[in-house]
Amino acid sequence: MQILKNKTNFDFIGKRKPAIFISTLINLAILVGIATVGFNYGVDFAGGTVVELKFNHPVTAAEVRERAQKGGLHDVSVQNIGSADENAFLLRMGGVTQLNEENAAKAKTAIESLGSVRNVYADLSNGIINFRSATPLTVELIKKTVQDSGTGVQEVRVLGENQGGTGIDYQVVASGMADKVFSALNEGLEKPDFEQRRVDYVGPQVGKQLRNRGVMALLYSMVAILIYVAFRFDFKFGPGALLAMLHDVIMVAGYYLVSRREFNLTAIAALLTIVGYSVNDTIVIYDRIREDMAKYKGKPLAEVINIAINDTLGRTILTSGTTALSLIGLLIFGVGEIFDFAMAMLVGILVGTYSSVYIASPLTIWLDERAAAKEGRHGDGMKHEPKAA
Amino acid sequence: MDRGWWWKFGLIVAVTLGTIWFLIPSYYSLAVMDRAQRNDLAALQARLPAWAPPAKYRLNLGLDLQGGIHMVMRVDTKTALQKRTERRGQQIATYVADKKLGEVTVDTDPEKLQLTLTAKDPATMDAIEKDVLATFGDFKRVNRNGATLVLSPDDTQVNRFREESVDQAMLVIRRRIDKWGVAEVDVRKLGTDSIQISLPGRSNPEQAKELVGTTAQLEFRMVDDTNPQVFAQMFQANPPPAGSDITVTEEGGFPQLQSKSREALLAYTEGKVPENRQVVTECIANPLKKNECSSYRTFLLDKFVPLTGESLAGADASVNQMNEPEVNIAFDPAGAREFEKLTEAGVGKRMAIVLDDNVQTAPNINEKIGGGRARITMGRMGARSHDEWLGEAQTLALVLKAGALPAPVTVGEIRQVGASLGDELIKKGGLAVLVGLGLVLLFMGLYYRKAGLIADIALVLNGLLILAGLAFFNATLTLPGIAGFVLTLGVAVDANVLINERIREELSHGKTAKAAVDQGYDRAFWTIFDAHVTALIAGFILFFTGTGPIRGFATTLIVGLLASLFTSIVVTRVIMTYFVHGRNAQSVSV
Repeated sequence: MQILKNKTNFDFIGKRKPAIFISTLINLAILVGIATVGFNYGVDFAGGTVVELKFNHPVTAAEVRERAQKGGLHDVSVQNIGSADENAFLLRMGGVTQLNEENAAKAKTAIESLGSVRNVYADLSNGIINFRSATPLTVELIKKTVQDSGTGVQEVRVLGENQGGTGIDYQVVASGMADKVFSALNEGLEKPDFEQRRVDYVGPQVGKQLRNRGVMALLYSMVAILIYVAFRFDFKFGPGALLAMLHDVIMVAGYYLVSRREFNLTAIAALLTIVGYSVNDTIVIYDRIREDMAKYKGKPLAEVINIAINDTLGRTILTSGTTALSLIGLLIFGVGEIFDFAMAMLVGILVGTYSSVYIASPLTIWLDERAAAKEGRHGDGMKHEPKAA
Repeated sequence: MDRGWWWKFGLIVAVTLGTIWFLIPSYYSLAVMDRAQRNDLAALQARLPAWAPPAKYRLNLGLDLQGGIHMVMRVDTKTALQKRTERRGQQIATYVADKKLGEVTVDTDPEKLQLTLTAKDPATMDAIEKDVLATFGDFKRVNRNGATLVLSPDDTQVNRFREESVDQAMLVIRRRIDKWGVAEVDVRKLGTDSIQISLPGRSNPEQAKELVGTTAQLEFRMVDDTNPQVFAQMFQANPPPAGSDITVTEEGGFPQLQSKSREALLAYTEGKVPENRQVVTECIANPLKKNECSSYRTFLLDKFVPLTGESLAGADASVNQMNEPEVNIAFDPAGAREFEKLTEAGVGKRMAIVLDDNVQTAPNINEKIGGGRARITMGRMGARSHDEWLGEAQTLALVLKAGALPAPVTVGEIRQVGASLGDELIKKGGLAVLVGLGLVLLFMGLYYRKAGLIADIALVLNGLLILAGLAFFNATLTLPGIAGFVLTLGVAVDANVLINERIREELSHGKTAKAAVDQGYDRAFWTIFDAHVTALIAGFILFFTGTGPIRGFATTLIVGLLASLFTSIVVTRVIMTYFVHGRNAQSVSV
């Protein structure tokens, strides 16, 4: 059996200009989209709380939302996951702790009523309230006061006497949102009719840290692979491989952008895998170009490249095809981020194959032409439009 | 077949058998054992046949697949540093006043971590500067302008303090988790200021957060020794229920109750002591396992807490002239006054140092102690080695510091997965692997016929090698890891596609089967090698930057790529060679 019966003779290089033009356009559109609309960041990067619940009886997302709101949980998004009869839902809350502006204001008034209290400061992003009292207060009293004002308290810390000895500093740490989900949904029930299957909570600082680390990882791996390619092949192959890599990463990022699927750590893993995989196809073709350059000495580079691409076309399609085939199971049975991962990989494999042919190789020709023009000689591939060999 | 071929063939057979042998503990752990015992290494070891590899080489399931809690705690070293700088500032002011060098006011800049000393009389500043810099070696001069002197802590001191803060927080967290009896916990440092905690099988994240997230509570409380026989009498008048292991032990004239279970002791004594007294236990460390308690002993303490760790300024372990380890503690001025009052009233009594409801030590008060400095000698050496004895003093100092310098610990990340969800994910992941693998195997067999079947054999071996590799490195299999597994198999088969395509091409050039196979492998080798190396680069970077499940993905990818180099190049070539050389075939089924 053979996928391409005869040797193909497509003029890939001749069509490189429209291909690069369209690719550049799509890439720019995606970058603009990321800058203006932005990704749908998951809790990994945005910080926040996600709770997955499974009810033991049929219930709709709207009902779950209503129950949550009745229990005092506002700003919560409820989403059905899996098949409808599974009754599983994802609840997403932006806030990390129970301390929001409204609660903080109430808690502040309550604390100030405790007596000679000054400098009440609520740090919403970290879910803490700091204050100073001229007289010693008991931890129990503070906890009760804040809790009665509507904010769950995880801990009250005594920070000690301040420097001038004019008061004692206290810190109130608010409870997390996941806590509240359980109590809000459970309100008025004898025993819960749901099971808490998963909780993801990421603090705001950690989220920022994770995002920076993810971006750095992407850059590092691109640079490392570029160095390897430049070292193993000629230097002029490097930029082509890099641009093809960038193209693929942006395209896959585009998948997350357009589909509005959650952009999280798994997405970064998918992008990094694409970086490693994208260069695979490119290398197969580069290897062949190098081999054919020795074989067809004297032929213009563009022509040699076209021969190489045509010769390897069958295997380019096959290798992409087998990898895509292995992903089918994940696409059928994967839920949530694993489905997204498989889908992103599929997109990456497709654009990776395309970019190896239409981005990486033409750029090599272009660089060769530039070098030739600089040296004042006729570029190998510049003057004659390539004819299919 | 030449000798070289037989060697390679022998190697492949050995690797295959070894791989299968190595997966025995994993098979037992996942398929034979009860799921409740999944993490119990001792039980697994007992169940394994004698000839199997040790139980520790079993495939671990990540928390996302077996259920549990993963937490990252951030130690707020910045706040701790600010507090410390402020406290040192006060100490400097007191020191200057005590030594009658002059009178200074000290201001702290919390952002820059700087102290500004201003002398009332500018003339005294030269002497003050000299003396203070010599005495407080952990500070260096930033600048001096007449009557004002700006100091900042030494960088190496700051770094050491940061490290210590994280170590202290880790110690406190470990002890707390031990107190709760959570088995198979993993507490480790993450980066410079974070601590990662894995609690397999736990399901309540809020409880876990409270467990590790609250600040350590260090208390100094008086031991009620008015009736030294209180526990012995309680035991006689009211014997514990049958089956209880509570016994009376005596040390230094104070009988205590002892049991393996802290809960049993507290339940037994409940309601048997006066309102204003409380029974608190001491942990008797297991001599074999440092972080575990082999048993507990009771103390009767005043409920009233006169002094807490907030008043403690520092603690250090040292050795005295008698070569006995001791712990030196220092209180801040307010604490020093309170401590003096306490010791004055309590001469001859014992004072308990309690951390998180655990009595750490209960030294005797020999005399009234003023000046806010006290020494705790470390009891008798007993059966301990001198190093262990000193080690205990160091641990106590660390514990005291943990209470003294509560670098606030905040929750950075919590990820909890319920056990039922984990089971479902394993099932779905397994199906995804089977479908993906099945499709690839089928395609290869149909498309390349015999050469495809050879690639299929290599692919299955590759899969087994990945699992064995993960088990060998004690890596964990996570949900993203399963995705990585599938993907790696897809990439591994690419190598065989490249080889087989190349063989077909060589055949079409009219080469003999033997020459085509040799050329096919030789020419495709570097392409495959380059492709694997680039993927490995991405894999390693993902491994070093990722955490938790993502790290599991990277590990699977790396192990898989390494295995694939072996299976898709060496294994398939040896089998291929058998068919074209061994049978002297003129054609090859590609």
